[in-house]
Amino acid sequence: MTLPGLISPSCIYACTRFRIRRTKLLSREDYRRIMKMGIPGIITYVGRREDYQEIMELTPDYSGARLVEEAANRNLARSFRHAMSIVPRDLHTLAGEYLARWDIANIMAILRGTFFDIPREQVRDLLVPAGELDRSLLDHLLSLTTCHEALDALEGWRLYPVLRGYHRTCGEPGVFARMENDLYMSYYAGLLGLVASGYSGCKELFTYLRFEIDITNMKNLLRLRCGEEGCEIATIDQTMIPGGRIPVDLFRRLYHSRTEEEFTSIFLQTDIVPILARAVREFRQEPGFSSSDAAELVWQRWHKHLLPVHEIEIAITRIRLGELEGLSRRYPFSLLPMLAYLERKRYEVANLRAIARGKAFDLPSERIWQYIVI
Amino acid sequence: MPSSEIKPTRSGLLIVRRRMALAERIHRILKMKLDGMMLELIKLTDQAVHERRVLEEKYARAREMAAIATMMEGATGVLLAALSVEITPTYTIDHRNIFGVRLPTLEPVMVKKTLIQRGYGILATSSVIDDAADAYEELISQVITSAELEGGIVQLLDDIERTRRRVNALEFKVIPELIDLRRLIEYRRDEMERQDAVRLRRIKKIKARRG
Repeated sequence: MTLPGLISPSCIYACTRFRIRRTKLLSREDYRRIMKMGIPGIITYVGRREDYQEIMELTPDYSGARLVEEAANRNLARSFRHAMSIVPRDLHTLAGEYLARWDIANIMAILRGTFFDIPREQVRDLLVPAGELDRSLLDHLLSLTTCHEALDALEGWRLYPVLRGYHRTCGEPGVFARMENDLYMSYYAGLLGLVASGYSGCKELFTYLRFEIDITNMKNLLRLRCGEEGCEIATIDQTMIPGGRIPVDLFRRLYHSRTEEEFTSIFLQTDIVPILARAVREFRQEPGFSSSDAAELVWQRWHKHLLPVHEIEIAITRIRLGELEGLSRRYPFSLLPMLAYLERKRYEVANLRAIARGKAFDLPSERIWQYIVI
Repeated sequence: MPSSEIKPTRSGLLIVRRRMALAERIHRILKMKLDGMMLELIKLTDQAVHERRVLEEKYARAREMAAIATMMEGATGVLLAALSVEITPTYTIDHRNIFGVRLPTLEPVMVKKTLIQRGYGILATSSVIDDAADAYEELISQVITSAELEGGIVQLLDDIERTRRRVNALEFKVIPELIDLRRLIEYRRDEMERQDAVRLRRIKKIKARRG
């Protein structure tokens, strides 16, 4: 038992461990070294690191970029499970909520695989058991033959209430996409709801999450706009995540704006603009790129029905992660060090995968480097 | 009636002349058809070359987009999005008539889809998946366009070959044979006419001697 206002020793211990684990992740210099290597070199280099033992275990079964990706996915799953085992009890719920993202991906793969009768081995290879649902439960779900049986077997899962409504319609066209969107909405709602727990760092996490939601909503709005045929208001409502700093109504107004003045005036009201301007400044090395230039850039893509630029998306992710790390340093004994580690680990795996896949596709190193989040 | 059974008579000559006129007319029409088909073939080939070049560009773009999607989302993410596809793209086939040749017309069905029709959840995927899906949709569309043109070229080449064989048969076999036959009949008829004239003169002389 800890006195009010004092930080529990278990929390100090866990946060310190996460900070140490964070320092053990691949550094910028490691990435630069890896970028100069071929795929066999990357396998050897990464395989020598003590936290990537999976690579040696998988060598008989996989090779090349596939080996790197598979090993990185397994390492991610192992790291997250280990993280769950060391978090103090009061952080456990939050860690579970955060990792539910992987559970959603796994469940959707299993449901689609079951319904479309895709070979179970192929579906099994796609699963990354980094969430709460462990490999044995996922294997059990894979052994079931119908979508309804799989839904029944998930009754104890924290996001099951979302699935309950889909028992009757499971398998109908468009239902899986709706189900997936609803699960993610519920995922974000669950994370935002944790702010009420009053744990140290919740306020900052709330700000961070709301910003992530805003960015996701803006990207999705551009994606919806990108199609040749416009989408309906109902689609916007189904795909915009509520809870961000920018209200969903503003996205609706933005979607229906027709002139540049109207669009930029609404867009400049959002908090995305300064971050976007900063991301473009860093990406293009243009110190004079202002907020109005950022609004103009988005309008140009919006007007021409183009998707967001991936490199700028990555630049925004870099800024987002940088801010999260800054916050985790400012609040060293809160939930932020854990989240900073989990996010960094997630992007370390993504970086390794990007390098290996990029090299397998013979993309130039400069191009691959643009997709690395450090 | 086969040519061998035509008798060297006036009616035989008329039959041969009629056949020759018909053969020459068919020859002229088939030659015009052949020229027309050649012009169409050149037009289609130019288009097919252009479309093939576009296809190669779109294939390269689709590969690049797939590479970027695999880099950012992983093979797992791309496969998960691919598994979500609920409506398989297909095409309908119809025909158009060019100089009596039935050229295929392919119409894509559910190849280009909206974000909602693709079947994957918007919140679970990113815009790289959209880019890869867009690039592959355009590639499939282009494959259908190229297949339509190249299928048409194959049909047209078949028909050109058949028509050319007919034109050559008319030009180098049927018409020369009919010319020969006509000449033969004419010679035979001239010969018969000369024989008749000699016979008549001789009869006239005999009659004159007796009278």
